[in-house]
Amino acid sequence: MTSGDGQPLTGRTAIVTGGGQGIGEGIARALAQRGANVVIAARRAATGEPVAEAIRSDGGTAVCVETDVTDRAAVDACVAETVGRFGGLDVMVHNAFSGAIPHRLEDADFDAHWSLMSRTGVWAALFCGQLAWPHLRKSGDRGRFIIVTSPSGVEGSANIALYSPVKAAERAMAKSLAAEWGPAGVTVNCIAPVAASPSLVSAFEQNPALRVAIEARTPLGRVGDVTDDIGSVAAFLASDDARYVSGQTIVCDGGSFMGL
Amino acid sequence: MTNAEMVEVSEVGSGVVIRPRLDRSARPFDSLSDADFEAAWEQPMRAAIGALQDAFRSGVKRIVVVIPTLAMSGGANFAHVAATAEALRILVKSAARQWGADGVTINAVAVAPEGFVDDLTGPTSIAAPALEGTSSPQEVIEFLCSDASSKLTGQTLTVDGGVWM
Repeated sequence: MTSGDGQPLTGRTAIVTGGGQGIGEGIARALAQRGANVVIAARRAATGEPVAEAIRSDGGTAVCVETDVTDRAAVDACVAETVGRFGGLDVMVHNAFSGAIPHRLEDADFDAHWSLMSRTGVWAALFCGQLAWPHLRKSGDRGRFIIVTSPSGVEGSANIALYSPVKAAERAMAKSLAAEWGPAGVTVNCIAPVAASPSLVSAFEQNPALRVAIEARTPLGRVGDVTDDIGSVAAFLASDDARYVSGQTIVCDGGSFMGL
Repeated sequence: MTNAEMVEVSEVGSGVVIRPRLDRSARPFDSLSDADFEAAWEQPMRAAIGALQDAFRSGVKRIVVVIPTLAMSGGANFAHVAATAEALRILVKSAARQWGADGVTINAVAVAPEGFVDDLTGPTSIAAPALEGTSSPQEVIEFLCSDASSKLTGQTLTVDGGVWM
């Protein structure tokens, strides 16, 4: 199903947190390619603005709003600016995340290994969801809240023990909100990607064996592209085609983790 | 709140059982204040993480974490509870992966939500219980704290009378 000029997301407005790089950039580009007005909520305009400019030069509509997602007032301001500029907000994508530093659980320190992940993952999902909600409700059956989580949020992590509970919390939040917001027509889903984000590319550069290991365990034999393999799934969830899908986690990892 | 008020730790057999004290109240997501979320998410998580660390350092080889099935099902007006419960359920898997080499097994027991929260409204299950009467998880917890469960780790055993399968 499409609207207006044949693009599935024409006339819709989306915010993508962490849209200045990696998976967030891929999602922003994919939404814009399908006609959405995209607000790139980036912690630093220095990373977000070039992505917005690149989308505009490709013929899309995008702006960057510098946003620290761990700050409720900043998320509030981003939503207000989005609604002021585009007249509404249909799709909130919470993708921003940082603080994943390898550790063992028994050695974990709250300041070093927990606080930033809790703030950027779970607290920010609270802020993004709460502040988007009045607008998503107005958007009705076009309203979408999409959270980027991780296969580790399902299966645990041997390397970053406290990463998994943060990503798991986001999934449970999405299921609960799918139940809570469904009567308004709004859907809430998660994407659990494995893709060539800057952090993973950097890890590959330091440890080429890691790429080989990931490719070897991936049935499709490659690491996902942030726009064409991951962004496209966010675009599907944002579209009318996915209006009857809610409370789900779509794992986008080339078939590596198939669930149980 | 002190850690002891946010998490209940008990010894069963040769194991340790950790049960978080979750927010018992239904709260629409848009009504959650930062203080509510601090009490429902941040504090119980920190307390439970601390309890897990203490259990590992004590040298115990069997650890059980008890959470409500809301972790897996989610529930309208219980996002703040489901998030914390599911986080702990999956943290069990990280711990199982890291501590297996030390001979430590750690599993989750998921129980009917009524013991954890009040004000359940709306559907939190898709079916009636398969078994009649209430289902105490005590026997399953005792099994998971015994030598008989030495090959079982990172699992969730749901003891809710056969609501969720």
